[in-house]
Amino acid sequence: MFIIYFFIILIGKIISGVLHLLGRNAGNLPGLVLWTLNKNCLKAFKINCPIIAVTGTNGKTSVTNFIAEMFRQKGANIITNPEGNNLDTGITSLLLNHCSLTGKVKADYLILETDESHVPVVYSKLKLETLVVLNFFRDQLDRNGEVETLILKVNKFCETFEGNLILNADDPNVARLGLANPNNPNVKYFTVEKYKYATDTLHEAGEGRFCPRCGTELVYDYYQYSHIGRFACPKCSYGKVSPFAVFTDIDLDKPSVTADGEEYPTADSTIYYMYNLCAVYAAAKLYGMDKEIVKKVFKEFRVNNGRMEKFEYNDSKLMLNLAKNPVGANMTVRMLNECEGEKELLFVLNDNLADGYDVSWIWDINFSVFRDVTRVVTSGRRAYDIAVRIKCSGYDADKIVVRPDLDDAVKELFSTTGRKFAVANYTAVQPTRAALKRFIDGEGGSK
Amino acid sequence: MKTLRILHMYPNMLDLYGDSGNMEIIAYRLRMRGYACIKDSYTIGDGEKTDFSSYDLIYLGGGADFEQQLLADDLLSCRDKIKAAYDNGTFMLMICGGYQLMGQYYKDSNGEKIPGLGLFDYYTVASTNKRERCIGNIVIESEIGGESYKIIGFENHGGMTDNVSTPFGKVLFGNGNKFGSDTEGYREKNVICTYLHGPLLAKNPKLADHIIGYCLSRQAGEAVSLKALNDELEEKCREVMLGRLLTETDRKR
Repeated sequence: MFIIYFFIILIGKIISGVLHLLGRNAGNLPGLVLWTLNKNCLKAFKINCPIIAVTGTNGKTSVTNFIAEMFRQKGANIITNPEGNNLDTGITSLLLNHCSLTGKVKADYLILETDESHVPVVYSKLKLETLVVLNFFRDQLDRNGEVETLILKVNKFCETFEGNLILNADDPNVARLGLANPNNPNVKYFTVEKYKYATDTLHEAGEGRFCPRCGTELVYDYYQYSHIGRFACPKCSYGKVSPFAVFTDIDLDKPSVTADGEEYPTADSTIYYMYNLCAVYAAAKLYGMDKEIVKKVFKEFRVNNGRMEKFEYNDSKLMLNLAKNPVGANMTVRMLNECEGEKELLFVLNDNLADGYDVSWIWDINFSVFRDVTRVVTSGRRAYDIAVRIKCSGYDADKIVVRPDLDDAVKELFSTTGRKFAVANYTAVQPTRAALKRFIDGEGGSK
Repeated sequence: MKTLRILHMYPNMLDLYGDSGNMEIIAYRLRMRGYACIKDSYTIGDGEKTDFSSYDLIYLGGGADFEQQLLADDLLSCRDKIKAAYDNGTFMLMICGGYQLMGQYYKDSNGEKIPGLGLFDYYTVASTNKRERCIGNIVIESEIGGESYKIIGFENHGGMTDNVSTPFGKVLFGNGNKFGSDTEGYREKNVICTYLHGPLLAKNPKLADHIIGYCLSRQAGEAVSLKALNDELEEKCREVMLGRLLTETDRKR
């Protein structure tokens, strides 16, 4: 067996080396080859440090980056996948790049963003210490199948998992994972107290309206966003947990939150962001992270990379946010509405393989709530689809400008000055960043 | 002001893939022409108090297997009243799961048989291999208002529907009722059952108007002609998608 593993690592190293020599991205291919050669290839790695994995539909990349940053600040030697590459093959490639010829991975911590459907595959082979689960929303149904199928997969993994399980107590789809293994004493919940814009009714398409235990419709005290909120089953009391990490006094104006009696200023202010930070805080608390480090990271660290990334051009301020499903897009619409005064929106929609070919999810975005949006520019491979969608929500068709080409769209957007927001889906976000930078640099503005 | 009455059944359970968008589109196209629209939501247990025949349009969207099972008994308990509405000429628009539930039965991917309303003769069986699904863009050709019209949507279904006497359209691109099928959906004068999401009416404004026209004409007792709307964005969208799907470049997808 050891001989086989030795050759697996060797082959992987060679492929990875050749790709690097050719100047190619070795983020996925070496791993893909190894998986094709041997389904147990992950076992070739010798890892003696704790692994922390982050999964969920939205926020994986941000939370992984935040947790990694905290450990970095602490002075720990970490290995992480900050740019995604979160499938089995991507994680294998990452380990290949960081191991010795004998397969030894040297680090203090491995902090791995992991795709929901790949959690069982990867962590049946690698020993996982902590799993953080953020949320489950409908996302690329044509690729992932129904949300329920995905939850069941992770749930099955949790049935035999005995490590730390950090769960969002406010998402009924996630909290149910805490029931999967009644013998696991290490289940810990995080929750965010009701915030200013929480609602009594569901405003945006949500999932998981029924109790996973008894099928009764869940009752909510309030909704924070989508189906995230304080819920309980009126019949079997599912949903009532004692949380490990609690965010209170969500102040969007400062912005800041309070946890365990300590106020933490934050770099951004949406409720969505606060939930990400709460997951990070739970992990920090679990690992006994110094308060000052948490404070510093919460206040200063930014992921950027198209996640609430800010751009400036002359007198215009723009915020770009990735949205690959309705919940993500609704969040940006919410942000846009919470911002006073007139503003414009750029929406870039692609339908490449990694996005899913199906764009009907845009009909689950609630545009009817638009406040003071003076113009919408649409772009991407499905620029007309998003234009039609926004029009049918009742928005004046004359205020919609379609520019399938991204450079044209950015130019059009900056033909006026003022507050701007941009939404781009998965494969659109990096090209959108590039187009924005090209325009701003080319026109002599400043980022 | 003329008002169209719509009954949207199980909107909180059958709303995969933005299917609720269809009702948003109908309401929008009515509003732009000065008509009003009342959308009532039907949820489990409303059978007793609901007068199905008082509606111009009954609508069901698509849902997951789990939800379809939850609502099957409730739907069956309304069978006679829904049948009466259908016999009476109420328009029935049924998408995906809704389509399947109007037939004889639906055998889901767990092998579980859910009885349908049996309004029509077709029946649906899903492969027990959950990966075997018809997924992708689809274009069908159907007759709308006496003219041939291409209808663009997105299909994602494991169920294979058989014994369809009068299909909704001919498949130009995609699968349809079964893997590699020539036909898609089921149709009668006041019935359109289809697997097309997208939502169905988003890129097919003529189809939306056909349904609206039918309902208004039935109400008025005479043919009502609809004012044309500015569908420039929709037409451009169709042009792009038909170009991609029906010419060589994207055919492999």
